[in-house]
Amino acid sequence: MAALEKNAMQNLAEKTVKAALAKGAAEAEAYVYEGQATSVGIERGQITKSNRIIDRGLGIRVSVNKAIGFAYTNIVDSQSAVEKAVANALSAARASKPDPAWKGLPEKKPYAIAEKTFDRRIIELRPEDLVNTAAAMLDAAAHADKRVFPVEGGAGAGYVANAIANSNGVAGFDKSAVVECSLAAVAKEGNKVTPVCFEFNAERSCNVDAAWVGAEAARLAVSALKTERIETKTTKLILTQFALQDLLYHTLINAVKADNVQRGQSAFKDRIGTQVASEKVTIYDDGLFPAGLRTAAFDGEGTPQQKTLLVEKGILRNFLYDNYAAKKEGRESTGNASRAGYLSTPSIETTNFHILPGGTAAEELLGEVDDGLLIYYLQGAHSSNPVSGEFSVVATPAWKIRKGEIVHCSRGVMLAGNIFEVLKNVSAVADNERKMGPLIAPWMLVENVKVIGK
Amino acid sequence: MRDVLVRLSDVAVQKFGAEYAEVRAQRLSKTMLTVKEDRVEAAKQGIEDGVALRVLVNGTWGFASVGSLETEVLTSAISDACRMAKAASSRLKTPIKLADARTVEDRVQVKSKKNPSEICMEDKIGTALAVNKAILGFDKRVKSCTLDYLDLTGTSYFVNSEGTRIEQDKLYVWSRVTASAVSKGVFTFSREEIGSTAGYEVFDTETPERIGEKVAKLAVEQLKAKSPKGGVFPVVLGSNVVGVFVHEAFGHLAEADLALSGGVLANNLGKKIASDVVTFYDDGTINGAFGSFKYDDEGVPAQKTLLIKDGVVAGLMHNRETAAKFNAAPTGNARAEDFRVEPIIRMRNTFMAPKDHSLEELIEGVREGYYFKSFRGGQANIDGTFQVGIQEAYEIVHGEIGAPVRNASISGNTLETLFKVDAAGKDFTLWPGRCGKGQTVFICDGGPHIRVKEVTVGGSA
Repeated sequence: MAALEKNAMQNLAEKTVKAALAKGAAEAEAYVYEGQATSVGIERGQITKSNRIIDRGLGIRVSVNKAIGFAYTNIVDSQSAVEKAVANALSAARASKPDPAWKGLPEKKPYAIAEKTFDRRIIELRPEDLVNTAAAMLDAAAHADKRVFPVEGGAGAGYVANAIANSNGVAGFDKSAVVECSLAAVAKEGNKVTPVCFEFNAERSCNVDAAWVGAEAARLAVSALKTERIETKTTKLILTQFALQDLLYHTLINAVKADNVQRGQSAFKDRIGTQVASEKVTIYDDGLFPAGLRTAAFDGEGTPQQKTLLVEKGILRNFLYDNYAAKKEGRESTGNASRAGYLSTPSIETTNFHILPGGTAAEELLGEVDDGLLIYYLQGAHSSNPVSGEFSVVATPAWKIRKGEIVHCSRGVMLAGNIFEVLKNVSAVADNERKMGPLIAPWMLVENVKVIGK
Repeated sequence: MRDVLVRLSDVAVQKFGAEYAEVRAQRLSKTMLTVKEDRVEAAKQGIEDGVALRVLVNGTWGFASVGSLETEVLTSAISDACRMAKAASSRLKTPIKLADARTVEDRVQVKSKKNPSEICMEDKIGTALAVNKAILGFDKRVKSCTLDYLDLTGTSYFVNSEGTRIEQDKLYVWSRVTASAVSKGVFTFSREEIGSTAGYEVFDTETPERIGEKVAKLAVEQLKAKSPKGGVFPVVLGSNVVGVFVHEAFGHLAEADLALSGGVLANNLGKKIASDVVTFYDDGTINGAFGSFKYDDEGVPAQKTLLIKDGVVAGLMHNRETAAKFNAAPTGNARAEDFRVEPIIRMRNTFMAPKDHSLEELIEGVREGYYFKSFRGGQANIDGTFQVGIQEAYEIVHGEIGAPVRNASISGNTLETLFKVDAAGKDFTLWPGRCGKGQTVFICDGGPHIRVKEVTVGGSA
């Protein structure tokens, strides 16, 4: 099934808005989504499958007397299905409760260009090309060490396009592509099996380093073979991007969402202009970061994406807004309305959560640690207290650093504390930033974290 | 519909030489609500029709998914699936084989007292608002609450090249309610889930007032709680925590795909890995339970699968592919979230069988430790490391329940911990939830209260 053309998507969005207004909507917004993905999968050391997914649909949001209704359908080539969805959105709104704080859909604003988000070569990749990428990872892992066993992984190429229109004249179309490969591996020696160690590379241009991913997953797995217990104490941690992504997503990122602040669900309420982190920490939400994995011209309700300063040398400067939360405070949206394709209404989400790198090389940062732990993967970050920021998680595993060298790994090490204390205790930031989902960040060195050994 | 699907499976075998082909189609409707405090953020209705086609060519899987029921689109998708399988097979060492499964022809109809598709949107919104009203009215320190509601109804179709033809109604009702309370700079958070495959009547027993009070109370009680001491302690786990422990810490290891991937259970079949009081099941046949269904997404009947009997590993959860590898029978655990994804091995209703202790007897046996009553989240690694975050917890001092503690979590190695389970209660509860393994499915887990001689408690004090 060929992807829908730009014009077809925009026409569908605009026609749907008109239809909803004609049926009695006070306001209407239509979001048309097209996603196509091809992938090959690795299971237990070999390539075992290839998948192709085509998913498209239309989401319609309407207001009637300040009550909001939403409907979607994934059948977009049938007039009757689209009409049914319009009727469903209206009936949902009519059944719903008016919201006095509703101040209308977004207004039309000019869009910046999302740089380096679409590389045509990605959508031209064939399953055979992806087989080669996956094979390169497997070969690199096998070459690294005989004890390595690739558990799962794969290579994939994806294309996403969306069109939006609303009754205030907002109209936009954007498309992007991403190519990625990933490998999860364990190392086995006798009866010993390491925790799963994972590496990946996702890019907006047709250029992933499969050999690096394979070799790195293998290196991490092998380095987890030598284990020793560690004692319970308060110590230094180097948090890699994996650990930061897990910990921050469930805590800090919640705290900077304006709706959580407005509803008293954020520890950052009334804290703008105050010190919330060490002066080493500067964070932007950058919806226009060139080649960022969450970079786009506009957000899920057609508002331009932008670069927003959140934390400047430790001082809290701003929150993330969508149209609704912004209008509640009489301000402008920061372009942070996100949607799960056509399936959901917009909600506030970070775009590229960019923690600025520092001047220290990663090896140097490691070299500075006399006694501490290097943390990659965490378990249980999702069970953190999203409001208070308190966490209690397991490192799977933790790598022990002594005199600047990694000496062994340790299983079952628990880390406990409060993310907001952790941010205040950041003593150095490395220069090795990388993209990981919504995060763009370097390694961070943190002092005084409680670790519970076995 | 059925004839179209059968023709597609025929095309895969006859034209493209597939060893096996299956076609799954769905016609589903969803109703969703998000209500924050007294504000209905949006009332939502969705339609999702689509088809998943999976083929085995040269011992390699090809899979295509399209959101369409048009014959032309489906014909091109089946050819895609077969071509892709062929392309992916170029480096195959061990071809995939499937265990035999009985051919089935069946039409499964859902009979619910209150079908959610026949309840009007106004009533659903009314119920949701009543829950939030009960939460906010419970105590003025409760500052916010969010209710998410979903119901899903429709029909799924399954045909394969071996002659199985199934048409199965789907019905799920689910809600998650969260609340947060604030007092003197302390922030607390609580959550509760409701889920049923029986019907909207689940809200007749779990009334809005009951749900609201439960969630609000959990948030408020944590306000006066203190942080736990980190270290190794004896604990009593409530049925809710036992459920997530059985599911996360053990259940995932007993999924045959993970066992094959280097999980610790692969070499332990028939071996004793737990104390005598430990008996675990994964059961897809419990009427109305959130993890129940009649046929899985490979057309295999769901069953009650014994995983551990009196401490000895009795079996694993299989799909047809892993069953062939283990020379076992498929257990009906192959589940796909929807037409966009292929079926993988998933749990259904996973639980520990009850024994003979009262809660008092379990608590009496602990000098200094904790009573962990309900959980906030859990996770496990195939090396057997697990973590469970705790929502509601108390100290145990000299055999009695003491002061509340908050933000605790427990961790350990599953196999070591299973040997330390020294007593189990006579109570039994199943808890609905959702499980993520790349895809999300609806499940239950549960069991009785248990006592564990030692487990690592993560705390900041």
